[in-house]
Amino acid sequence: MSPTLSSDPLSALIPRIAGGDRAALRQLYQATSAKLFAVCLRILSSRDESEDVLQEVYLTIWRRADRFEAGRASVMTWISTIARNRAIDRLRARGPLAVAAQIDDMEIADKAPGAEALLEIAQSVEALNDCLSQLDARTRGVIRTAFFEGVTYEALALRLDTPLGTIKSWIRRGLLKLRGCLEP
Amino acid sequence: MSQEAELSDDEALAAEHALGVLNAADRATAESRMAQDFAFARMVVAWRYRLAPLAALLKPVEPSAELWTRIEHALPANDNRSLRLWRGAAISGLGLAAASLAAVSVIVLQGPLVPAAPPPMLSAKLDTAQGQHLFVAAYDPQRQAVVISSLVPPGTDPGHVHQLWLIPSDGKPRALGFVPVGASVKILLAPPAAGLTDSQATLAISVEAPGGSKTIGPTGPVVAKGALTKI
Repeated sequence: MSPTLSSDPLSALIPRIAGGDRAALRQLYQATSAKLFAVCLRILSSRDESEDVLQEVYLTIWRRADRFEAGRASVMTWISTIARNRAIDRLRARGPLAVAAQIDDMEIADKAPGAEALLEIAQSVEALNDCLSQLDARTRGVIRTAFFEGVTYEALALRLDTPLGTIKSWIRRGLLKLRGCLEP
Repeated sequence: MSQEAELSDDEALAAEHALGVLNAADRATAESRMAQDFAFARMVVAWRYRLAPLAALLKPVEPSAELWTRIEHALPANDNRSLRLWRGAAISGLGLAAASLAAVSVIVLQGPLVPAAPPPMLSAKLDTAQGQHLFVAAYDPQRQAVVISSLVPPGTDPGHVHQLWLIPSDGKPRALGFVPVGASVKILLAPPAAGLTDSQATLAISVEAPGGSKTIGPTGPVVAKGALTKI
């Protein structure tokens, strides 16, 4: 994954945000808030809490725009990472076995939403999806659940009624394979 | 494919932290490691970026219409933006002239060029009833983060966890997170808690069963507390 400045239309907004341009932050918000909200909502299953987290996320972007490293990730990758991380922090503050409630109307699309995904992101989604599909179904399932719901090893072990050590070794082996596949 | 048979311990921890499967205590440990160990922090970020494209598979959901207004009202009004504006203008190159004019008018509208003082940092020493310091904390209002160090010897009472609470002027405790024994952690505050963190507030630590209090306030004994004061 090596997004360049020119191929990421959102990247032009970042120096403006770093310069204190509220209109640029608003543009970024309009382009990305529904996606980040989905990430938070899936983890927290509470609109109120997800909106609190989202507010925090855009305030973080406002304060840290000057630290965005364009060479390392696309803007969308960078900010979705912030959103997911903050949502998980919030989930952990609830207690050890807190899990996302199942939300039925939030099925995952099979493919990246083509029209709205930037080419670069669509490509990295496809690469990651290809690599995930090379894992066995059980490992793939547990990694996807961990990613989308932000649940702990302990919660996964309970849910799957499988020893903690087994879950750990599935995930670690799966992640090792993923890394090998993404960076051959 | 990678030739390695398994991830190194550091790489595994970085990957697990990025995936988000660590419990609160291990997550706090990983965060404090990131703050101290640049190579480890890079590893975590690399894993976060590796996994991030998955988020694109979720169907977008619109937040409520007034959220933007809330965010806009919460933006810091005056945090030495004029300097940054010059730099931002330089970056955008062609927009330089217009941006400079904009910068000038912003400065004029803001009145004299006295930078607004950032809100003061706060600190607290959390003591036992006997006056022994058990924790030292600092709060940075700009980053909305508490950094807290546990002076409790590592290995003490492994069957319990230390939960940090904010007790604002309304007297109602808010759970902030967990502090591993003998370690330092940075805890980012959510906006409601951040807004309540001022020199009227107190920090407290309770001893709880693993996972923390199941009730709205501390369940276990409060072993240490201290008032936040301006540094």
